[in-house]
Formats: sequence, C-alpha cells, structure tokens
Amino acid sequence: MTTKPNILLVDDDELYLYLMEKTIHQLSSELVVSTFTDGEQAVEYISNCTEKKIELPEVIFLDINMPFLDGWGFLNEFKKLKAKIQNSINIYMVSSSMRDSDIKRASHFEELTGYVVKPVDKVQLAEIFKKIYHENW
Amino acid sequence: MWKRVLKMFIGLYLPLLALTLFLYYSQKVKLIETIMERQIRANTMKKVSFEEECHSFLRNTHYWANLKYPKNFDPLIAHSSFLRSYLELIEDITFYDQFRFIDLEGKEFFRAERIGNDSIIISPLQNKNYHPYVKAGLQLKKDQIYLSQISLNKENGEIEKPHKPVIRTVAPIFDNEQNQIGLVVINFKMKKILDQIKYKVEDKNVYLLDEDFRVISASTIEDDLPYESGNKKSTRDGILYTKAITQNQDSTFIENGHIWSQQSINLNGARFTFGSISNVPTEIVTPSNWIMALEIPPRLVTAELQPVFESLLTFNIISIISLLTLCYIFQKKKLEKELFYRKLESKNILLTRNKVKLEENNVIVNEMNNSLEIRNKQLSDFNYLISHNLRSPVTSMSVIVEMIQKEKKPEILHQLLPKLGQVAHSITQLTEDINDYVAILDNKEIKIIDIDILELIHEVKHEFTETLLDNSGFEVRLNLEVWDHISYSRFYFKSIVHNFISNAIKYKRENVDSYIEFESTIENNQQVLYVRDNGIGLDLDRHGENVFKLYKRFHRNISGKGMGLFLIKSQLEALNAIITIDSKVGIGTTFKIIFKK
Repeated sequence: MTTKPNILLVDDDELYLYLMEKTIHQLSSELVVSTFTDGEQAVEYISNCTEKKIELPEVIFLDINMPFLDGWGFLNEFKKLKAKIQNSINIYMVSSSMRDSDIKRASHFEELTGYVVKPVDKVQLAEIFKKIYHENW
Repeated sequence: MWKRVLKMFIGLYLPLLALTLFLYYSQKVKLIETIMERQIRANTMKKVSFEEECHSFLRNTHYWANLKYPKNFDPLIAHSSFLRSYLELIEDITFYDQFRFIDLEGKEFFRAERIGNDSIIISPLQNKNYHPYVKAGLQLKKDQIYLSQISLNKENGEIEKPHKPVIRTVAPIFDNEQNQIGLVVINFKMKKILDQIKYKVEDKNVYLLDEDFRVISASTIEDDLPYESGNKKSTRDGILYTKAITQNQDSTFIENGHIWSQQSINLNGARFTFGSISNVPTEIVTPSNWIMALEIPPRLVTAELQPVFESLLTFNIISIISLLTLCYIFQKKKLEKELFYRKLESKNILLTRNKVKLEENNVIVNEMNNSLEIRNKQLSDFNYLISHNLRSPVTSMSVIVEMIQKEKKPEILHQLLPKLGQVAHSITQLTEDINDYVAILDNKEIKIIDIDILELIHEVKHEFTETLLDNSGFEVRLNLEVWDHISYSRFYFKSIVHNFISNAIKYKRENVDSYIEFESTIENNQQVLYVRDNGIGLDLDRHGENVFKLYKRFHRNISGKGMGLFLIKSQLEALNAIITIDSKVGIGTTFKIIFKK
C-alpha cells in the first residue's frame, strides 16, 4: 500500500501543479501530495478510496475551471459521496479569478473550507496548514 | 364664409319677413276699416249739416206760407205797411237773396232783392211764369213746399257775376179766408253753405253731386256748379276721379287706393213738422237728389299707415342687422370650430403616426437592448476568459521567476527553466484562441448576405470527404423543405456547419449507422434550424452549464481543444441567434438554433 496522501491538488494546469507541489515540499517534506488534472479523475479516486475504505487526504485544493468535470461538478459529486467518508476533508476552492459570482457560489457549498486566489504563496499555505494540523506537523 | 352667412340669414329672415308682411297687411286692412268707419261718420255729419241748412230754408218758407195774408193782398201799395216789419226782419237774415210773391198766373206782384250785404230793397217786377220752379210751385197743394235744385243765379237770362249759387223755395200762400192768392218764392244764397261743404274734414276731399252726378261743389275746386258756368262741360272728368259713383245710394268703396264714401240726400216726399199751430206736417217736393261724397286719397291712407310701416321697417332693419351679426358670429365660430377640429384631427393623425414610429423605435430599441445584453454577456465572458486563462500562466510564470531567483542549485534551475518555455507556449496558444474569439466578437466587418444553406452544407461536406468516404457509416441528412435560404454571414455559417459536422463525426457512436441531420422549420414566425445526431450524447446534468464554454471537454478519450461549441455559440450570438441543446447519453444530441428576426 502506498503512503496515504495528505494533500490532493486538482487542477488542469500542470505548471501550477508542479509549482504547488514544490512549494508544499519546501514547507514540509513529510507531506504527501497527490495530483489530478481534472475533477472527474479526482472523483474517481475519492469514490475508489471510499469503496476500499482507504483514508482520504485532509486537504483538497480544487480548481474551478477544468475539462471533463470542473470544480463545481466535483463538489456536486463529492456531496453524493460525503456520507461514506469518515474523516473530515478540508476543501479549498482555488481560482485565478476573483469573480464575485464565483465567490458567492462557493459560499453556498458547506463542504468548502475556504476560497483561495492564485497564486498561492508560501505564507498562505503555511497558514492553512497551521489551521489544519494545529502546528503538529 | 359670406355665402354660408347669407344662406343662414335668408333661412332665418324669410319667415320673419313673411310675418312682417302679414302683420302689415292685416294692419292695413284693419286701418282701412277704421278709416272707412270714420269716413262714414264724417260724411254723415256733412250730410246732416247740409240737410240742416235745407231745413232752415224750408222752415223760413213754411213761416211765410202760413202767414195769414189780407184779402186782396197788395203788398206794394195797400198792404205795404203790413209787409214792412217782415222785410225789416229778413233784412238781417243775410242768406235771403230775393223774396218774391207770384200770382197764380206766374207773374210777380212783389219783388225784394238784397243789395250789397245788409239792405233789402223792393225792385221792379218780372214775369217768371216760364221758370220751372214757378210751374212746379203752381202745382203745389197746401202744406207742400218746393225745394229747387242748386243753380247759379241768372238775371235776364244771363248768369250773374260774380257767380251766385242759389237755391229756391216755393210755397203756396193763402188769405185769411183760406183762398190761395199765389206763391211765395225765396232765393237763398248757397255760397256760404257750399263753402262750408268745401271745408275739408281731416284732409279728405268733399264733393256734393246732383242727381246726374254732376259736381255742384267740391273741396278741390273754387267755383261752384262749374258745369253751369261752362268751365267744365263734363260732369266729373277733371274733378271727380272715380267711375264708381253711378247710383244714388249709400256706399263705401276703394278705388285705385282711394277710399270713397257716398251718401244720398233725398228730401223729396219728406215730411216735417215745423211747429205750426195746426201741427200738420209739411211735405217737401223737390227734383233734387244730391249725393254727398267723401274721398280719402291714397297718401292719407299711406300717412295713416306710416307709423305701422315705420315700426315694422325699424323692426326689420334691426332684425336684419342683428340676424346678420348673429349669423356672422355663428358661422365664424363654426368655421373656427371646424378649423380647430381639422387641426386636432391632423394633430391626432400626426400623433398616431408618431406613436407608430415610437412603437417601431421601441421594437428597435428592444432589439438593440437584446443584442447589447448578448454582447455584454459575451464581453463579460471574454473578460472572464482572459482573466482566468491568462492569469494562471502569468502567475505561474511569476512564481517560477521568483523560484529561479532564490534557487542556487544548478540542477533545480535546470528543471525550472524549461517550465518557463511551457508557460510561454500556453500563453501563445491562448492568444491564438483568443484571437479567433475576438474576431467573432468584433463583428464590424461581417457581411450579411443571402446564403443557400443547401449548397453551403454540400460545400462543407467536401471538406470531410475522406472521413465521410472512409466511414460509410456516417451520413449527412438534409431536411430543408421549409426554408433553405437565410441572411447571414457566410463565413460564420460555414464555420458553424463545419464544427457541427466535425463534432458529430468525432462523437459518433460505434456500431451504428451514424448521421447528422439538418432540419429547417418556422416557429413563432422565426427561422429555426434543428441539428440532430445519434452520437454518444452528453450528460447535461453534469455538464449542462459548461457545454458552450471555452476549453471544456467532456470526453477524455477523444481529442479536442474544447473550442467547437464555444465558437458556434459565439458566432450565432454575434448575429442575434440563440442556440440550445438537448442531449441523452448513448442516444444523441439535438441543437436548436433560433434566428431572431
């Protein structure tokens, strides 16, 4: 069994994924990062995990704009799987836009922990992790 | 204007005029009746006063006839004293002109004449037995008095000058033994009486005619008995201007506007009681049968009618003026009203026209608003597209640059540097895509022409010849009976058809005879095009909102940029068309395009 990932990055921008991974590793080499380039893959992974009772990552950074299944689509699917998920998952919406309509729409999902605007820098990430891991990491 | 005024005026005035004329006529009739009554009264008065004069003569004669004369009466010598006192008496009675006694043979035996005004003298005797009044006198019985005709006095067969109209009375005289001794003959002067007759009553002409309708005296002439003096031979010509007096009777008539009234004075056979002792009535014998006639000339009638005429005239003048004024004002007001209404109507028409124009403008504004909304949406989408899709590589780039600056390890730098190239590539790709999109948004140069879509679809089909030939299982079906021409941009329409066919081929189902169908129809008076395929379909619950968005792909195993439907929608909306989608996974997809008018 592979090591359980702590953080899930869902974004179609591969450069972004590379940079995020790099930044996270700069903060902590202990954190395991898993990446998906669209919502559909992420949903498949999560449903697979729930079926196999594999523990899920604590944090998901979710992009809005993605092919096949976008951020919103992912959230809708996640809602359906939620009942089967045991541990709590912090989902952060990550977007390059500050569009009011997106922010407003995000506020309607109680599954969301926060809304982050790209680029996500080290300081921001550190704060998020502090909140989640209570400085235990 | 004046024609209308006149017309109205005539309509109003004519009845008034008729009424006026009727009033005038009835007033005239009434007035003439009154005048006639008055005339008859006046005539009666004239007649009565004339009769009174005659009575006075008769009374005098009666007196002489009833004197008791002495036997063998000789007034000149034996009984001159008897007569003197009587003569003294008649000397003061000025209408006595001659006083004579004539014996039974017709010879005078006493003759007294008035000389000047106030003396009576006894004059030489004349034989008068040839005179008709002597002959008639000798026929008289006791209690009869003869009254002669009025005539001019003649002396010795010649008319005495100046003319002296006289009337004679004759009566038998008796002695105290009741034996007739002769006749008493008295000539009375008529001048004064005739002058009195001539005296006009209320400007009416007065005529006294004899039994042959000859004028004895008239207010229109100075001389009496003109026919005797030979001035006028005719009985009435030149004096009496009527032909209606032909009978001796009482009558009133109108002739040529003259009102005539005639009354007969016939004393023959009349009996009078002159207060004699015996109280025996005296009978009058006379050949005279006079007519008293009164004439009212038309000018008098007119003068009498003058006030009525004047008041009616005044009334009419006032009526004419006030009616004309009324008609003028009324017609003027009416004209103004008509003008006002005409103006109002034209204004109304103008207003209606404006309203129609306004409504048209409204429609245009609405359409513009719609297209502006669409455009706004497009711009907003564009904005989002730029901000989102461009921002991510740019931010990535800034992060990489930051990392490179901080990184000292050359092997990691080697890893980072190619990433910049990746960023540059994705930015270039994006700019190219955006260029396509901007070309659609910026539709200034789009040429709208009439497109034969049948021909156009065939043209596009040729671009796919290989695919369509290789895969005999793909068919382009056309159902364009309702319409096959449309005003649109040929370039856009071609691009749209190309993308539809391309998508339909890309997303066809395996193991079925795939097709794409174009069907034209009219809905709500708008051209509608249905594009159907029996491809793999789309889960609209999942992807509905993203179907027409940029870079959205829904099928992992099929390559694509995620631009086809985005471009289709943009190109349709750029020209005011709407696209909707209906799709079922495993069955197919139907697009509906509405070309708004």
